[in-house]
Amino acid sequence: MARGTIFERYGGFATAGKIVMAFYDRILDSDITGPYFDDVDMPRLMDHQTKFVASVMGGPASYTDEMLEQLHRRLNVTNEAFDEMARLFRETLEEFAMAEEDVETLAREINSRRDVIVSAD
Amino acid sequence: MSADPVPADPDVGSALNLDAFNRALIESVGVGIAIVECDGLKVLFQNKRFEQLFGSPANDITLDQLMQVPDLSGLEPGAVETCEISVKQKRRPVTLAAHFSVHEDDGRHVYMVEMHNITKVKELEYMIESYAKMVEKNERALRREKERAERLLLNIMPRTVYEELKTFGVTTPQRFESASVLMLDFVDFTEMAVSKDPLALISELNDIFTGFDRIVEQFGCERLKTIGDAYVAVSGIPEATPDHAQNIARTALLFRRFIRQRNATREEKWRCRIGIASGPMIGSIVGIQKYVYDIFGPAMDLAARMEQHAEPMEILLPEATADHIRGEFRLEPVAAREVKGFGTLDLFKLVGGDEELGVTLI
Repeated sequence: MARGTIFERYGGFATAGKIVMAFYDRILDSDITGPYFDDVDMPRLMDHQTKFVASVMGGPASYTDEMLEQLHRRLNVTNEAFDEMARLFRETLEEFAMAEEDVETLAREINSRRDVIVSAD
Repeated sequence: MSADPVPADPDVGSALNLDAFNRALIESVGVGIAIVECDGLKVLFQNKRFEQLFGSPANDITLDQLMQVPDLSGLEPGAVETCEISVKQKRRPVTLAAHFSVHEDDGRHVYMVEMHNITKVKELEYMIESYAKMVEKNERALRREKERAERLLLNIMPRTVYEELKTFGVTTPQRFESASVLMLDFVDFTEMAVSKDPLALISELNDIFTGFDRIVEQFGCERLKTIGDAYVAVSGIPEATPDHAQNIARTALLFRRFIRQRNATREEKWRCRIGIASGPMIGSIVGIQKYVYDIFGPAMDLAARMEQHAEPMEILLPEATADHIRGEFRLEPVAAREVKGFGTLDLFKLVGGDEELGVTLI
């Protein structure tokens, strides 16, 4: 059994920061997820991304389901957009040479939040 | 063997190469560069990077059509004016640091405009700020939790013992050559009307013990523990003091005065017995999972016996303790009594001294 959280094992904030930047690039470039961020200002988006990524990696941020629901309520996130986001997150993690089992763990973490993030058909 | 070709005019050749090289350099550099007329802000030249940042402008475009230009009227040759501008490329917000400088070209003044893409730097700044706030928040929560744990531990052990436990992880039992202990118990506690209502009872006891804690603190004593309705305080532990008996006597007198004053205004009338004793004691943390700081020694037992022998609202003490405070406090001898485990002892009632203390309650 690996010791510590994924956040700690992969180098803490230094790695999480790089993952945030790479993930951010991917979701903005995607035609499915990108439009959701058209009107979001950068500081707010980076704040959200940093906390979100650190949170799913078991880092110091904790995003409650209630907070996530509140943040995404007005965005009308579809299942398609959620799937795309999850796929891009997985791609990002693979790019950082994360072990398969850790990628799976994080993918599960992301998927467990589907119900609070998706609010449109 | 053939000779290397020699340019007809080496100076001309290198000048041409240098010009081409400069042009290639300006085009390939990752910084957007433009030359702009000072009068009218017409764009005279822009490299490919500049075009990418602002799209491909038509001829005769002016700089103020592309971006918000800062006031450059006071810009001296050699000086640089810098500002930050935001543009959007597709849906991506891009932050640019724009540098303006004035140069002379064939007798006319032009601005050299450099555009550095600092988007990643800004993103990193936002991310670090977000993370730093998060860490600060967690640290504050951790500090609050630590303070709460510290307060709880300080309730059950003296600060010096807590500091020792925190620093070394263990504490060593300490022997105190001379210290005093006070034990207080309430008379007919279980028969009191308030004891039928647990919430009211706890509220009353909490109120009284909080008052006691303040008095104890006032005289540099320590509350050792409360057991049900009993309150135990010590003086001379863990900091040795030659005045331990006086301090505990003052504490006892103020405890009694506090109860009397409280009874005068409340329906519920509390009556206490107080026993005091002095002597050598051992102080130590007992237990590993559940820390309890306790003290041991004959004086502890003797104080308990004194308390049991005391009449309601009486403060009783043995001769050894009376010897410490004689002359400073008003004492009344009571007939010698057989005290279990200690034989026949001459006992004294502490009847006064507090009126002259000039100390205020609470």
